[in-house]
Amino acid sequence: MSVATFLSDSIAVAENEFRQFRRNRSAILISLVVLPLFFTISLGAGQGGAGTTFSPTANIPIGFVDNDNSLASLRLWQTLASSPDFHNLIQSYNEQAAISELGTKHIYAVIVVPKGFQNDLDNGNQARLILYTDDSEPGLSDQIQSTLTSYAQNFNPNVEVQPHLSQLQRQSVAGVGIVVKGAIFAGFNIGLTTVLAIVQIFAAFYEIAGGISREREDGTYARLLVSPIPIGSIVLGKTLFDILLCIIRTFTVLGISVYGYGARPNTDLLTLLALSLIVALVTMGMGFVAASLKLGQRAVVIIEFFLILFLFAFSGLIIDINLLVGITQVIGNLVPFTYAFDALKRTILLGRPLLSLTFDLEYLIGSILASYALAFAIFHVSRERLIT
Amino acid sequence: MKSFVRDTVAITGKELKQLRRDPVSLILTIMFPILLIGIFIVIVSAFSATSHNVPVVVADLDGTPASNAMINELTRSRFVQVTQLVQTEDQAYQAVANAQVIGAIVIPQGFGVALASGNAFVIVSTDNSKLTSSTFVSAAVNQGAQDLVNQASLGGGVNFRLKLAPIDVITRPISGRPPSGDPILPGFLGMIAILGGFDDIVNAISRERERGTFPRLTLSPVSLFAVYSGKMFATVVLTILRTALMLVIFSLYGLVIRGNLILIFLTTILIAVFTLSLGLTMSTRIRGSATLTVLEIAMTFPLFTLAGTTNSPLLLAPGGRAIADSLPWTYGNDALRRLIYLGAGLNAVAGDLLILLISSLILMPIAISLSKRTM
Repeated sequence: MSVATFLSDSIAVAENEFRQFRRNRSAILISLVVLPLFFTISLGAGQGGAGTTFSPTANIPIGFVDNDNSLASLRLWQTLASSPDFHNLIQSYNEQAAISELGTKHIYAVIVVPKGFQNDLDNGNQARLILYTDDSEPGLSDQIQSTLTSYAQNFNPNVEVQPHLSQLQRQSVAGVGIVVKGAIFAGFNIGLTTVLAIVQIFAAFYEIAGGISREREDGTYARLLVSPIPIGSIVLGKTLFDILLCIIRTFTVLGISVYGYGARPNTDLLTLLALSLIVALVTMGMGFVAASLKLGQRAVVIIEFFLILFLFAFSGLIIDINLLVGITQVIGNLVPFTYAFDALKRTILLGRPLLSLTFDLEYLIGSILASYALAFAIFHVSRERLIT
Repeated sequence: MKSFVRDTVAITGKELKQLRRDPVSLILTIMFPILLIGIFIVIVSAFSATSHNVPVVVADLDGTPASNAMINELTRSRFVQVTQLVQTEDQAYQAVANAQVIGAIVIPQGFGVALASGNAFVIVSTDNSKLTSSTFVSAAVNQGAQDLVNQASLGGGVNFRLKLAPIDVITRPISGRPPSGDPILPGFLGMIAILGGFDDIVNAISRERERGTFPRLTLSPVSLFAVYSGKMFATVVLTILRTALMLVIFSLYGLVIRGNLILIFLTTILIAVFTLSLGLTMSTRIRGSATLTVLEIAMTFPLFTLAGTTNSPLLLAPGGRAIADSLPWTYGNDALRRLIYLGAGLNAVAGDLLILLISSLILMPIAISLSKRTM
């Protein structure tokens, strides 16, 4: 068979896919609108964009009980109340009553200044603040504690108006400043790496594996398989069709991230598009393997759900691979998406040229070739069985 | 009324019988909790490992006893592993830029002298594309500096004439749990109820539609309300089973459940019923079971962040918080946390439960009405 025939068959398959896609309103909606919009907007809203600077503790109602009633405790109150981190500080005179309010959603923490606070400071001893927290709110206690500690460590009882805390002071231990260097990522850049990868994985797997399963359930897949079109053309045609959808999705996610949430990727558009397509191709390869195993549509969707959950734990999306322990780290190092996320972060966040990430690229391309070869072999066997 | 109850029970029985005959769905009902908990264990064990060995290089440009003491603190750290001591600042930064290490710690010249006057500083450069590891490097340096200060103030080792921070903050969580406890398990219970509810609606309506049995069911002498009630009760039964399974796993994991078990079951049931009501409404427009499942899964993932599963909604950006406040699931997860961790009573969670109930009561008639129209 000539290359021209092979390509024309592939294009015919791709055209057929487009025709079917155009006729399916819900597929268009989910693939091109719901998934990119939903993931980007929900993550953007949660993290805040480039124009949003917010202190997580600023609007949380926190009780303040002053049992010392001294000049130092008054200055501490003034320091905290006038800071950008504690806008909702509520003064209370009864420690027990304030603590009993915890867990009722009226207040989420109580700062208690114990008796002898000023004495300790005057005598050069370390004074204490007691922070009662509603720890049923995950992450809240740690956040309030670290913010309060940064103020406490830099508090000078002899100064009426405490200087505004710099970022350096916030991160430092009294006596030793810690100057943090390293790339600071603009706005929604981290969100962009996550959303771009997740949206492509989610959509590409469903389109390839789900599409073939649907055709199988409709009975048209067997006909396509026994037609004179080579399996390679079928696979290539479906891949071409999905590549176009992936390009549209990349631009949608990128558009919302850049214009909606102020993401400023440190790489060029071509690199971003290339990486996005590599992620999609890895997923498509897996989708073809899943489809070749004759799974039903529902099974495909369930596998997809488990795949995404799996990636959250094992691919460096939430925890860096080097922090995983034992066998989980081995699994993480085997998953191709680990290298895809790594490449996305290094290019979008750090601005590394794509071609300098040789190992990541080699592993990803190897995975794509391996999964396509495996799917091709299984399709070939099933075609032989169908014919005989 | 009697016939309504009888019909409802009959439909509930049918749903459960169907599930028993469908091994994939049955396994899924059990697999959801186990898989989620498995992921939780992976994440928690990564964070609570006794040592992390995040690779760092150190450049000591001071070469004094004080800088040596700082390096000693860093080599003792459970967060980082000092892989190399380099001579210059540039070498240290280059190691980070080349991805050889995740962090570079530079102790500048004059560190020892500045330490005595309380003006010392250390430079930390991290590969911030490694989002979690880079925070461990900062934590190690912070801890090292704190230990150095503590050691000096206690008169141990070399005396650098340092003073402790003027104020120490002592944190007391009201639940009495250790601060590094298991803060996301109740949220996972909520997620199981949501995922289960979505899965049930796909089984209950969409797949029946695909098989062609749903129109037959609605044409039988059973009211549509009884059909939906029956399907809802089946979900209630399944939610009770899922919740019980999760609570057993929690107990095996060592989580102390303080609240009233009946209230916990009631909360998960209300979460599932609300999810089911929403799913019913969606299923009137989206007919295919696979399409509906994809859409529901796509909705579920953002809920991990927005509905307070892994983090408190109070810590979200203002836009995210507004979304969180408008989602009834947020109130369900909130109630579960209060019940499980704080042992709260009915009056503490009544508002949350009422929001879930009212939301379901609003959605259910809409779902029935839309369903009638699209039949």
